[in-house]
Amino acid sequence: MTGRIGGREPTGEGAGTDAVFTSLLEDSAEELYESAPCGYLSTTMDGTIAKINATLLDWLGLERRAVVGRKRFADLLTVGGRLYHETHFAPLLRMQGELGGIALEMKTAGGRLPVLVSSAIKYGGGGEPLLIRTTVFDASDRRAYEEELLRRRQEAERARTEAEQARAEAEQAQAEAERARKQAEADRARLADTLAVLQQSLLPDTLPAVPGLEAAAHYHTASPDRLGGDFYDLFPVGENLWAFFLGDVCGKGPEAASLTSLTRYTLRAAAHHDPDPVTALTTLNDALHERYTASGDPRYCTCVFGVLESGHDDGHVTVRLASGGHPPALVLRADGHADLLPTPGGMLIGVFPTAPIGTAQTILAAGDTMLLYTDGLTEARTGPTRDALYGDDALYAFADEHAPATPQQTITALTELLDGFGDGLDDDTALLALGVPADPSRTRPTTDHPR
Amino acid sequence: MRPLDITRRDTATGPVLHVVGDLDYTHAPGFRHHVRQLTLTAGQCLVLDLSGLEFCDSSGITALLAARQHAQAADAAIILAAVPSNLMRTLTLVGLDQVFTIAPSADEL
Repeated sequence: MTGRIGGREPTGEGAGTDAVFTSLLEDSAEELYESAPCGYLSTTMDGTIAKINATLLDWLGLERRAVVGRKRFADLLTVGGRLYHETHFAPLLRMQGELGGIALEMKTAGGRLPVLVSSAIKYGGGGEPLLIRTTVFDASDRRAYEEELLRRRQEAERARTEAEQARAEAEQAQAEAERARKQAEADRARLADTLAVLQQSLLPDTLPAVPGLEAAAHYHTASPDRLGGDFYDLFPVGENLWAFFLGDVCGKGPEAASLTSLTRYTLRAAAHHDPDPVTALTTLNDALHERYTASGDPRYCTCVFGVLESGHDDGHVTVRLASGGHPPALVLRADGHADLLPTPGGMLIGVFPTAPIGTAQTILAAGDTMLLYTDGLTEARTGPTRDALYGDDALYAFADEHAPATPQQTITALTELLDGFGDGLDDDTALLALGVPADPSRTRPTTDHPR
Repeated sequence: MRPLDITRRDTATGPVLHVVGDLDYTHAPGFRHHVRQLTLTAGQCLVLDLSGLEFCDSSGITALLAARQHAQAADAAIILAAVPSNLMRTLTLVGLDQVFTIAPSADEL
């Protein structure tokens, strides 16, 4: 190196700087060669080391005399480095005359030293190659830096992979949640379908057309997901002979529904066998008692069962009723007043081995309508604090006020009454109205099941 | 909906259960469980003091019938005491006033 460092002018005030500068100038080329911060070596064209500086010998932990004239450059390299030197480095060098910045590894006493190697061929006056000059830079810092970079890149790659994996897992979890949600929705829909089918098995879809009679019904479900505990039916049991029933089973939910189902089909079967109302209810009592109470699980229903006999010349219909613990039927007469049809002495059905059954009879003439109901109607909680019950007397007064009314008019008026109870109506309520039309052409039955 | 509270006291003739609250679909199972735990011996009388009963639906009536069955199984009697008027009306309608022994008050028992 010649010239000034950093462009600084030697000045009088910088006497110390001048001294350093002078000592640098006096630094011999030999000293520079031996103690340079990089390795130098020169080899013959066959690679035999002719000259090597102290820096490189120090790095490699070798004695000069063990190296010069005894080893070739390739001997200083690791096995991998030697291979690379032989197959790439040396051929390229011979071809190009110089080669720079090649990463190789050299053997040291303690292991291996990553280095960057540059070589140049010195040519004679006739252009013949004479020797190879090589500089060796310690690349361990750079290697460490590269390794660090690589490690960082691998870490970043790993983090990216993990993030992708986490994202994939999250997506999978979301997909599973979505699948579960769809499954739950499907299950709920299936359950709703099942409940609807079961509910339909407990109540007639439509009331049958009965010649000379009008019929209307209404079912109020207190809770849409709870199967009802009330029931009614109307069906033929012979020529001009129709049976009907309406009742209320104890409890709520699936257990009440199974009791309702047993009740409905027992009564239907019993009525076909013998339409006598007392016989039908007695058969029902036997069936329920045997099925539930006898095994320590008392359950009951209250029920009105009746038979309508039509075909009389003047169009009137005779009604024979039997009741087991059920509220009395009402009749809205054509002349504008209401009658109660009490069935005293009856008892709820299913709890006792023999149950007393109460009976009543009446005649429905043109314009008369008989109303059967469950106690959801009379037990509805009324008043501002919902602590009073609607009650039997109020219902009787309501019927008396509305008479005369067709079955459909009666059901419509009562449906409005029920709607007016709002949340005071906390039980299922069934209504069934049967009447003889004042005008004989009106015999179309109507059914109303809001669900 | 009010919770159902059942307290028991024992007398010379048998246990008295004081039932306070709603005996309905929700609380009837608890009442039935309570009664099932009662050990009754022949000739005893189980008294249900219903003076604090605020509401009783068909599930409640079923629970009363189950209590009656439990007493009968032990040859014990059962008395309903201080029956509220609404429940009395229902019991009469379904004919159970002919089945249960009904007393105006538990105090005289």
